[in-house]
Amino acid sequence: MNTYYAANLLIFAGVDIIACIALNLQFGVSGIVNFSFIVFQAAGAYAAAVLSMPPDTAADYSFQIYVGGYQLPFPLPWIGGAVVGGLLAIPIGIVVLRKLRSDYQAIALLVTSIIANTVITNARPFLNGAAGLALVPQPFQDQIDTATDTYQYVYIGLTAVAVAIVWFVAARIVNSPFGRSLRAMRDHELAATAIGKNPVALKMTIFIVGGAIAGLSGAILVGFLQVWAPSTWLYPETIILFAAVIVGGRGNNLGAILGALLVPVGFEEVTRLLIRLNIGPPNLIPALEWVLIGLFILGFLWFRPEGVRPEPRRVFEGSPEPEVERVRAA
Amino acid sequence: MSAQPDGPMLVAEDVRRSFEGMHAVDGVSLDVPRGEITGLIGPNGAGKSTFLAVLAGTLPASGGRITFDGEDITRVPAYARARRGLVRTFQLPSEFAKLTVLENLLVAAPRHRGDSLLGALMGKRYWIADEKRLVEEARGLLHRFGMSAKESDYAGMMSGGQKRLIEIMRALMLHPRCLLLDEPMSGVHPRVIEEIQHYLRALRAEGLTIVMVEHELHLVEQLCDSVFVMAQGKLIGSGTMASLRRQREIVDAYLVG
Repeated sequence: MNTYYAANLLIFAGVDIIACIALNLQFGVSGIVNFSFIVFQAAGAYAAAVLSMPPDTAADYSFQIYVGGYQLPFPLPWIGGAVVGGLLAIPIGIVVLRKLRSDYQAIALLVTSIIANTVITNARPFLNGAAGLALVPQPFQDQIDTATDTYQYVYIGLTAVAVAIVWFVAARIVNSPFGRSLRAMRDHELAATAIGKNPVALKMTIFIVGGAIAGLSGAILVGFLQVWAPSTWLYPETIILFAAVIVGGRGNNLGAILGALLVPVGFEEVTRLLIRLNIGPPNLIPALEWVLIGLFILGFLWFRPEGVRPEPRRVFEGSPEPEVERVRAA
Repeated sequence: MSAQPDGPMLVAEDVRRSFEGMHAVDGVSLDVPRGEITGLIGPNGAGKSTFLAVLAGTLPASGGRITFDGEDITRVPAYARARRGLVRTFQLPSEFAKLTVLENLLVAAPRHRGDSLLGALMGKRYWIADEKRLVEEARGLLHRFGMSAKESDYAGMMSGGQKRLIEIMRALMLHPRCLLLDEPMSGVHPRVIEEIQHYLRALRAEGLTIVMVEHELHLVEQLCDSVFVMAQGKLIGSGTMASLRRQREIVDAYLVG
């Protein structure tokens, strides 16, 4: 395995892990079916791109049209990506999360995803339309030659730091009394209201936190790929991440990581290997990948709805063993 | 208006709630006396549960005024009423199924340092003292309600009667001044009904005000100090259960058919 291939795999894994942790906070812990998740990753990617790129009047960049172009040094584009992801969650959250019932929220968010993609594809002057942005500068590219192995290691390191920070934040949220309130709201929203929780405030908070983390994942991705276009963030990408969280274990951060490695990373790798076998028409294997992901979700929801790593039971110091388990053991 | 120590705990004035032209609650006015158990009875569809929901704020009122301990709370949202000590329970089981029994109680505790995004990000050391104190308090309630052995079990695995108890304990974690109970004994084993009655009497003895919607009239008779009767969204009578049984129109409207 050469360094580029390994870097590619590890950085995609890191980005998917970050995204799955964010989606787990929203969907697994808080019960928000955010079918527009990929839009927040895209927003972070676009933001990081235009923050790091020169203006579109610059010599090498004049073949594209886009807003901004601030040439900010690392880590400002990554931070900007997270901020924009979080900010975008505010208007979408206000429209969708305040009044609608949760099943309609899911539909509204799916529609939001499709609208956002269509608008960005067609409104060329904003972010260069369907062609997308290219030649996005990479972090430290003035200091380190990006065509070296060293640079691959640097990028892997930066991604790992981001994964660690996101893990730390998510763990603190999930294992706190605040996380407990989120889980209570997920289990029974009206009852949570009746014990003094404000469900709109809880949902908005975690929608913004998840949006910011998703934005960061997009920033990391665009800094590595150097290109970003509407075709990379179509709504089915969100479904893959949902599959990952469901398979890994809803409500469990470790499960989110496991799901990210099993579904988006695992499927990509398996597909890549299978394509070499040259079976059937050229699009057969990628198409079968989608069929498999669908079957994977169905299979898990049917046979193991709690996922590979279920949400942990919180047992307190001095607590007795759960009685149900005691009875089963006897 | 400030709270009067001997005035009514909860006052409804001409409270209305309609659903697309249907008047589920049609101008109900009543005073809930402090420190008593007040019953709310009436035939199916009388609007009792809707009225209770309007008092708790889980359904907004279409009109009228609600005063809680001297404060006008008509426009206060449900979660804020709960924080002020007006706490409701539900007719159907409403436990947090994937939280343990102990967590179901802890989650209701108000003003927990770790119960905000910032508090959570500060880390365990910032909120562990609150948590320890509340675990002790919750364990005290579990002990009192005879459910200590179940604290680590998922609430969703509990029986119907145990879920009722969890809901009452959860409400008590808020240190309420007034409990609104929606048929707390429906679908519960007779032995557990006796337990719940015992606990409600004990809570009254501690000074808690309780309003209770209930179908079983013998339970109402045993528990409630005074009773309000609703039919077709209106209040049609009030008094003790014994005096209500002597009133002709109430007997006609409800007690017989």
